[in-house]
Amino acid sequence: MKAAPFSYVRPTRLDDVVAELERAESTGGGKVIAGGQSLLPVLAMRLGRPKTLVDITRVRELAELQDDVGTVRIGAAVRQRRVERELARRVPLVGRALPWVGHREIRSRGTVCGSLAHADPSAELPAVALCLDATLTVVGPEGRRRVPAAEFFTGAMSTVLAPAELVTSVTVPTPRAGEGFGFEELARRHGDFALAGAAARVRRDGDAVTEAALVGFGVADRAQHRDLTVPMAQAVSQHGADEKALTTTLAEAVDQIAAEVVTASDAHASQQYRRRLMRVLGTRALVRAWTDSRRRTHA
Amino acid sequence: MSPTAAPLNALKSRLSSWRQDPGAAEDRQQVLRVEAEETLRVSFTVNGRPAEVDVAPRVTLSDALRDHLGLTGTHIGCEHGVCGMCTVIVDGDAARACLLLACQLEGAEIMTVEGLGKPDDLHPLQESFSRHHALQCGFCTPGMLMSAYDLLDHEPGVAQDELPEKMSGVLCRCTGYRHIMDAVSDVAQQNPEGVPAPRNCGTGQLLPRSSTGGPGSSAEDELQSRGPAEITLPSSQPTVTVSVEEHVQATPEEIWEVLQDTDRVARCLPGAELVEDFGNDRYLGRIRVALGPVKLSFVGDIHVTERDEQNRSIRAVAQAEDAAGGSVQAGVALAAKPHEGGSLLSADAELFMVGKIAQMGRSLAGDVSADMFAQFTQALDATARGEEPTQAQAPSAVAMFTRLMSQRAQSLVDRLRRR
Ligand SMILES: Cc1cc2nc3c(=O)[nH]c(=O)nc-3n(C[C@H](O)[C@H](O)[C@H](O)COP(=O)(O)OP(=O)(O)OC[C@H]3O[C@@H](n4cnc5c(N)ncnc54)[C@H](O)[C@@H]3O)c2cc1C
Ligand code: FES
Ligand code: FES
Repeated sequence: MKAAPFSYVRPTRLDDVVAELERAESTGGGKVIAGGQSLLPVLAMRLGRPKTLVDITRVRELAELQDDVGTVRIGAAVRQRRVERELARRVPLVGRALPWVGHREIRSRGTVCGSLAHADPSAELPAVALCLDATLTVVGPEGRRRVPAAEFFTGAMSTVLAPAELVTSVTVPTPRAGEGFGFEELARRHGDFALAGAAARVRRDGDAVTEAALVGFGVADRAQHRDLTVPMAQAVSQHGADEKALTTTLAEAVDQIAAEVVTASDAHASQQYRRRLMRVLGTRALVRAWTDSRRRTHA
Repeated sequence: MSPTAAPLNALKSRLSSWRQDPGAAEDRQQVLRVEAEETLRVSFTVNGRPAEVDVAPRVTLSDALRDHLGLTGTHIGCEHGVCGMCTVIVDGDAARACLLLACQLEGAEIMTVEGLGKPDDLHPLQESFSRHHALQCGFCTPGMLMSAYDLLDHEPGVAQDELPEKMSGVLCRCTGYRHIMDAVSDVAQQNPEGVPAPRNCGTGQLLPRSSTGGPGSSAEDELQSRGPAEITLPSSQPTVTVSVEEHVQATPEEIWEVLQDTDRVARCLPGAELVEDFGNDRYLGRIRVALGPVKLSFVGDIHVTERDEQNRSIRAVAQAEDAAGGSVQAGVALAAKPHEGGSLLSADAELFMVGKIAQMGRSLAGDVSADMFAQFTQALDATARGEEPTQAQAPSAVAMFTRLMSQRAQSLVDRLRRR
């Protein structure tokens, strides 16, 4: 289907973006358009009819991809495929998750920040942002604020963004010494949204686990972030490098989380099946992250 | 901001939407604004050729390519990003044309399946699809080809077992994919350094089809006031080549005299007239063609590039468009040689067609063009001998229509009507 008519506004300065969003808000509603890879399907199916689209892709500062000491900053106009090409090594968890986001043809237009702002419960990048404690920079009529990923998502396709606010960039930490990552997903076909998936981060000091985090996605109204330092440290001190034993012990811990967070059955998978996926994928991601951390001595 | 500045700026930004999209050269202070019912003129290149479209904000790239530029090789399946039928290359990367707004693409470089190869010079991917039986109905083929081109362009060494995943962005309802994977794999193996370059990305201009979502002003007035245009013929293969040679009674000298007067020459061509003489042998002209219910009116530029009195020959280039039918670019050479007391009049033309007319099919378009040239040489002969031809009427081609094999003509009419 074709989208209903809308006006198109394309500022080149950030101030103007905010002013245009405010103006659009008072004249029937507006939406930011970045890559359009989620927005245009919504418009084509007429599930949404914003009166105005504000294109942010020609604001120069939003097109920046900055590689700093300890972090990378990805501007709101930076496309996923560029990040995949240029930063997959610098932020390995992002690099591992990106190939799961739609298809190459989608990632060549879709932006990283757009995926975060869209906040689909099955999307990979919000889970990755949570797992890495990324920080979003948000600009609006009230000025600039920095929002940790843990506070950004409020529900299915809902975030803390006010109508005239936009995400200008996301800052993602690069791996610290002894940090390793795991990413697992199951989708019905490659490129589909996940039935369930898991991202894990484990940090080690010598042979001891000092930090472990697990994020499950596709299982609830938003990605679920859990600190698993204690069970992970115990399992590792008990079983060391024995992956099989590690898997069995960790599965119990992950199972408990799954029982608590997996909320719904739908046409694609029952609640029971999703719980099992969560256990299998979550455990696998943690074990991979641990193995990965042992390969990685420093950033 | 002073109190008067606000409305002034509002006016400026409104005006901007009627002008060319400023694109990369955008005034850093300016906000481009296009109201829902307005159109924006966007310039980009398609298959190496500059193209312009006038589009409302909601027009997608797939619709701009198909409806405004007549490039119907890009197919549309779902229109929401799932099927991949509309896959094209934008600035070097494959993208869904149905998920891009044309108004976002000022300055972009686009490649469609039309740019990949020519019917008799297929791109290795097309050739391989054919050899491996990688298509049945062919609906997914343009998307598959463009996705494969993108894959081999960026990952030349891609492993065969990775292909099902890497090619998963385009759906096929017929083949079961296996032959498609074989076709792509074959090209990948034979071209380890990277995918061969496209075969039909030429120069020259793609003309907009002003009827679809155009600004509504008369295209002719606009053309008249903008003065003569530079005409560059595409370097790609012509859609139709016409070569007619006719023995006529008038002498080369008599014909040469007519050729000096462009207005008289124009009157020899059925349905044609000169609209404006810009000077320097540049003109604006119109030609009407009527084939049964199909009525096309092409308006465009003509530039006589060479007048060779010695050989009694002239060369001209032209480009014209019809609101619905598409556009034609042409290079024409006319010459009169002495022959048995009269002359041998030859006309050689290369026609490049875009849009519905291009779909008339090579041979029918050729028939129509050849017939027009034959009528033209006869009229030229009559004029040269002092029998001014009756001003050719618009539907003079009706006669031609009946002369054409009626069955073929009817199938064209049906085809054009269905669209
Ligand atoms: C066939 C297909 C398959 C897909 N598969 C997946 C998948 O498997 N996993 C996945 O995660 N995604 C998938 N997607 C969705 C897509 O990857 C992303 O959601 C999309 O790229 C979001 O980025 P965008 O720049 O295209 O955002 P847009 O489509 O431009 O915007 C999306 C939403 O976010 C808002 N927005 C965008 N940028 C900002 C900003 N900077 N500040 C505030 N609001 C903003 C818009 O207003 C809009 O509401 C798929 C899409 C398609 C068409
Ligand atoms: S038509 Fe564009 S993806 Fe289906
Ligand atoms: S050949 Fe028919 S859809 Fe692929």
